[in-house]
Amino acid sequence: MKYSYLKPRRKTPLTPELKLILTFFSITLFMLCSTYLFLLFKDYRFASEKQEILQTRYDLNVSIAQMKEQVRSIEVEKLLSEKIYTQNSVLKESIMNLFDLVPERITLSRASLLENGLILYGVTPNKDVYNFMLQAPLRSIFHKTYSSFYPAQNGWYSFVSTNYIQDEMMQTQNTNEEEELEDED
Amino acid sequence: MFNKLFESLYNKVIVSIVVGSSKSTVYIEVCTKNRVVQNVEEVFDTTSLNAAMKEFIELYTAESPYSYISFLDTSIEQGALPTCVKNKIPYYADISASISKCYEDKWTYFAAQEEIYAIEKKYQKLGVDFIFSPFVILANFFKDKTSGTLAMYVLIQDGYVSLSIFNESQLLFAEHLDLHNSVDNEDILIDDIDEDLDLLDEGIDLDGVDAIEEIDSFEDFGDIEDLDGIEETESFLESTDVEEKLNEELSEEELPLHEADGFNEDYQRFLLIQSSINEYYQNSKYESEFVQNVYVADGVGVSQDLKRYLEEEMFLDVYVRQIDLVSWVSDLTKVELGYEV
Repeated sequence: MKYSYLKPRRKTPLTPELKLILTFFSITLFMLCSTYLFLLFKDYRFASEKQEILQTRYDLNVSIAQMKEQVRSIEVEKLLSEKIYTQNSVLKESIMNLFDLVPERITLSRASLLENGLILYGVTPNKDVYNFMLQAPLRSIFHKTYSSFYPAQNGWYSFVSTNYIQDEMMQTQNTNEEEELEDED
Repeated sequence: MFNKLFESLYNKVIVSIVVGSSKSTVYIEVCTKNRVVQNVEEVFDTTSLNAAMKEFIELYTAESPYSYISFLDTSIEQGALPTCVKNKIPYYADISASISKCYEDKWTYFAAQEEIYAIEKKYQKLGVDFIFSPFVILANFFKDKTSGTLAMYVLIQDGYVSLSIFNESQLLFAEHLDLHNSVDNEDILIDDIDEDLDLLDEGIDLDGVDAIEEIDSFEDFGDIEDLDGIEETESFLESTDVEEKLNEELSEEELPLHEADGFNEDYQRFLLIQSSINEYYQNSKYESEFVQNVYVADGVGVSQDLKRYLEEEMFLDVYVRQIDLVSWVSDLTKVELGYEV
């Protein structure tokens, strides 16, 4: 301000036309940036979702493997249970058969099942009843049968019948059973 | 930085407005940093901002955000003082209610704050950027002369006269005068007319004049015509102003066109100048020195009468230069904006 009484008004290049142009470009730029940011966000979200899906897939695979393992073990257990059930059924039947073998005149007081044998305790009116009616069928089942008698107070005989199946037979039977189980696995 | 960049991209529109007694002159320059691309001038029959003037200006100012509106201050409450020292200013005038500026640390020009605000308010629809004092224009217009010996410089505007006396670039006296609203002026005019009437009433007793004695007394002066010629030559040589004389001769050829309609105003101007010079001589505040040369910057196209009045009535050597006021306002605006003019 060399000569003038006044200072000039502050001039701005922002004319209404320029303001319009700047507004237009600003909005366009804003929209471009927003779209870019939106796409970036979507991309990031897609990547994270993909990661999550991969993780889920991996977890599911692990879970499936675990489940398969569980299924396998359950199947083994099932086989085992079936075997036990079968064995129990066989045993039950054997016991039933055993008890069927015992004639009515002989009374059993105790029976002990061994792995390879059977021990029977009971009373018989006499030795003949025992020998003909019980020992004969026992001999047809077991390889070795030992009987011992001792008189009871009422004139009857208490007896102990010890019956064994030969070890080789048992071993063969056991081996066959194990092989069957392994094959099923 | 961005503002500078944008500023270089746009053209600058400089609007200069000079308000006269009954009309306003608008001069518009569209310029780049180096040159004027377009200039246009229009005169409006109004002293305020009317719709036509506003529309005309806005037609150009709309082209660039860097448009500047400049005014020549014609308010009556303005002047110039021969000092820049703040302590000395009250000795000459009370300018406490004025806006003042110092010109090259030599003298002060001022204008009433109220008048400046009035201009700003009057043209607030356009906005005002610069307001220049006529004394600044006068000092710049006669920059080649003010550094010389003592002389009076007069700026003739439409309805106003700005007068200043400079001696070796130092302002001695200045006054801004309103041609139409000066009461003193009218009084002086009436007084002078009365004196003339008195003379007419009394008549001149031609019989009482001794023609032979008068001729003798004239003879004592020698050859008056030759003397006048010598004086003219001396003053011509002293001022070494061939250009002024040429301008004067040219203006003498042109000016008779205005004589028919400009007599009264020229006489009023003369009376105002005369009263101002009397004030300068009589007021003890000012360093009174004899004024011989008068340089007139004619911004309206005055008639030859003013020059004749000054020469014949006050025995002054008068040189007249034509000035395009709006163009000078525009140039001052360019100076303010850092252009090389």
